[in-house]
Parts: sequence; C-alpha cells; structure tokens
Amino acid sequence: MRKSFAELNYYEMLDIRPGAAAFEIRQAYGAALQIYQPGSLVSHSFFTETERREILSLIEKAYQTLIQDQTRKAYDDELMSRGEIDRPAQAGPDARKPVGIFSISRGRGQQPAGSNQESLKTRIRQSERIAELTGRHALSGEDLKQIRTELDVTLEQISQATKIRQDHLINIEENRLARLPAAIFLKGFVKSYLKYLCLEPVEELSARYMETVASLAQHETAQEQE
Amino acid sequence: MAHIWPIGGGKGGSGKSFITSSLGRLSAGLGRRTLVIDLDLGAANLHTLVGIPYPSKSFSDFLLKKVDRLDDTIVETPFENLFLISGAQDHFDIANLPYEQKIKTLRAIMKLDYDCILLDLGAGTSFNTIDFFLISQNGIFITTPEPTSIENVYRLIRSVYFRRIRYCFSVSQFKALEEEAIEQFGEGAFNKPECMMKVIERDHPEPYRDLQNDFNAFRFRLIINQMHKRDNAALGAHVCRIIEKHMGLQIDFTGNVSYDERVHDAICQQVSFLDRYPYTKTAGELRAVGRQIFQPAGRQLMLQYV
Repeated sequence: MRKSFAELNYYEMLDIRPGAAAFEIRQAYGAALQIYQPGSLVSHSFFTETERREILSLIEKAYQTLIQDQTRKAYDDELMSRGEIDRPAQAGPDARKPVGIFSISRGRGQQPAGSNQESLKTRIRQSERIAELTGRHALSGEDLKQIRTELDVTLEQISQATKIRQDHLINIEENRLARLPAAIFLKGFVKSYLKYLCLEPVEELSARYMETVASLAQHETAQEQE
Repeated sequence: MAHIWPIGGGKGGSGKSFITSSLGRLSAGLGRRTLVIDLDLGAANLHTLVGIPYPSKSFSDFLLKKVDRLDDTIVETPFENLFLISGAQDHFDIANLPYEQKIKTLRAIMKLDYDCILLDLGAGTSFNTIDFFLISQNGIFITTPEPTSIENVYRLIRSVYFRRIRYCFSVSQFKALEEEAIEQFGEGAFNKPECMMKVIERDHPEPYRDLQNDFNAFRFRLIINQMHKRDNAALGAHVCRIIEKHMGLQIDFTGNVSYDERVHDAICQQVSFLDRYPYTKTAGELRAVGRQIFQPAGRQLMLQYV
C-alpha cells in the first residue's frame, strides 16, 4: 500500500521534483490549493471536513518550508540523511553566462593561451632545428610542418584557435600548390599560423613563405611547358 | 476474447448511454464487430440511441429462457458492424436481478464472440452495476463537471474498490476487517477502501498480494462529459491525481467532451449525433476519446519492432 498523504514528504505532497525552482513550487502550491480548497469541485465529497483541514495545513507547511531557502535547505538535509532524496549531483561546469560588455578582448589576431605562449617561446629559443629552418632564405610548407611538429602542436589546435579550416592548413603544409587559396588569403592564413606558433618576426617570415611559394609555382609551370 | 468496456458513472443523466452509443459507432467504424449491451436494467434506452426504437428481441428473453443463448437476443443495427442487446420491453421485475441470473449473464457475456463489447450500466451503486463493472479491467467512468456528479463518481469508484475487496473475504471476515479499520483509523474509516487495504496488508498478506496485483492491472479511465465553456478543463487530470494520491488507484484521464445543445436535438430526432453533426467540437472530441480508447496498446509496442 502506498503511503498516506501525511507520510509523504513535502515534495511528493506538492508533486514536484526535489530540485524544483521557486516558481515551480509556487505553481504547484497554487494547483494544490485548487484541488484541496473547500468548495473545490475536484475534491467535492472526497474528504471529511477535518481531513480537508489537515491536508490544507500540511500543504501550507510544505509550501512555507520549501519556498524559503534556509528552511528548505534544512529540510533537504533532513531528507538526505533519511535517504529519501539523493544528494544533488555536483554542479557541472558553470553554465555559459553572457559576456560582460567590457571583457570582450579586442586584441588583434588569435593569441594562444598565455602559459602556452610562454612555453612555445622558450622552446623556440632552445631548439636549434627551428633556428636553422627560420634562418634559411626559403621557407616552404614542409618547413612549417617541421617547426610545428618540433613544437608539439597539432593541426587541430591551430585550426580551432585560428578558425582556419584544417584542409587549408594541410594543403599549406604539404605544398599542394594547385589547391592553395588565393594569395591574399594564403598570406593571412600563414600569418595566423605563425602567430599561433609565436614565430617572430611574422611579417618577414610570411613574406619569405610567399616568395618561396611563388618561385615553386613558377618552377612548376615552367616544367609543364617543357 | 472480446475486449469488454463497462461504462458507468454513478449519476443519472451524465451521458453514459450517449457515450456508449457514440463509442460503439466509432469502434464499428474502425471495422470491428462491436456489440453494445444495455445493462441499465429497468431503465433501458440504448436502443433508441442506436436507431432501433422497437427492437424485436431483448435481454429478458434470455433471462426468461425464451431463448437458450445470449447470442440469440442480439439484433443488428442500421450501422455496419454494430450490434445490440437491448433492454427494451423487459419485464418489470428485471431491475432486481437475482444473484444466479447475474452470474449466468456475466458468464454468457464473457463467452460472446465480438471484437469489442460495450456495457452501458445504470446509475447508482447497486451490486448489479458494480459486478457488471468488475467484469473487465478496463472500465470507463463518466462524470459531468458538477459537484453532484463528481460526488457520485467518487462513490462509485470506492464501491467498485470495496466490492473487489469483498470478493476475497467471507461475510464474517469482512465484518471483522471493518471493525478493525474503524478501531485504527477512527470513525468513517469503514467506507475508505484505502484504510481497509492497510488493515488487510497487516492481517492477510496473501489476499493482499492478489488484490494489489489486481488493482495494478486495472486500467480504468475517466471521461468528463458535458463540459461547458467556463468549466475548468484540468478537472479530469486533477480528479485522477487525487484518486491516485489518496486511494492508490490509477485512473487515466481520457478526455473532455463539450456540452452541445445539438446532442439534445439529435436524440430528439432519433438520429446519430456523429452523423448529423460531424463537424462540431463535441463530435471531434468524441472521436478523439474513441481513438484513445480503441487504440490497442499492443500496436504501439509492435511499432518499435517493425
């Protein structure tokens, strides 16, 4: 046999779940009053007068307990200690909130996260291989790839941070000339790429890369003509 | 075996016969062989609602042994697939059906070979009505949104509940249970089935288990008829909630059927309301209720496997 009304906990009395918000509690209270109030059609003749009074006082008590945060918390603790309701699940990651109007970063370009940036810079300074690659006159896609692998950065990371599609990045690294985007876009992409990897000076390196690509393209067309 | 739907409601004039005839029409319209039986003994008029003002045979032919089988009292109606056992021209004593005849009738109804059988029960909570109601686990309660009718439907539900409990015990046992309940829960507990069940749970665990299984298997439904514009549309849901919470009996709310003057017109003209006014709100709601009720639970399950 199920429990009688007086044995239900306050949440069951009002037909709400234990985590219900204040407005839900208010609504449930209103609905319960509609059902149990004297003169209500729903419970007409269902209860004797004393029963109705008892139920109404229970509902009133339930509402007063649950609607105030302090008393509700005490009541929840009591229920939890009796094991009637589960402990609320640990709050997950904070829900996204609107960004404050002054906290939007208006800095130019994509910057890797702060700590990451520092470690990249020190690694660039320490690595001889990178120094050698950036020291050369020509800078091809394959060189970029080598630098990137040296720094332990994946393509996904760059793509996520710079919002450049991965297939573009792959085409750049593999030197697939025919599939590269127009020069103006290519330059921008490569700059973002270099900035993400904290390679300096960006302007000069990207210019060198563009020259290399141009010469490669000339070379290729010349071969085709032959 | 046929699917039997007893339709009761406690108060007279709440539209039991009208709903029965409409549901019968709808079920027949789905292509099922449907039988409506007028068990409002002594105050029968279902025959008029299904378009047979003067039925040639009636239920009392069976009781008076003019015919051997209940099958022989069935008459065809003007509607395809819809059949009727009428209570017209019964002998005047029939309202007081003796126990043996009631059992005989119940057995005969169980044996009928139809897809769907609807029983139109009388008002009140006499043993006849309740026993016919308990023939199946799929009863339908009908009430109007008025205190008088609500009071009677609660009364009927409690009576059905009690009658089921009563089946399990002898007279003296039941009497002892009643006294026990009053002792424990105070004056007035003897007409509260929920208190009675608590006593049974403690003293008679075996029958308690059977009863509980039975009550869990019941799929009673509630229809609110003659809903006026200003009535609270959530009434049905609330009634079901209060019954579940305080009596521990699950009843599904099936739907509201609006009040419509034209129902009266259709009955006076002795035509089917669904045919005469098919595009009214009330007709639409009747069809929705019919869909809910006749939708076989099995089909929904099967869809998942197709």
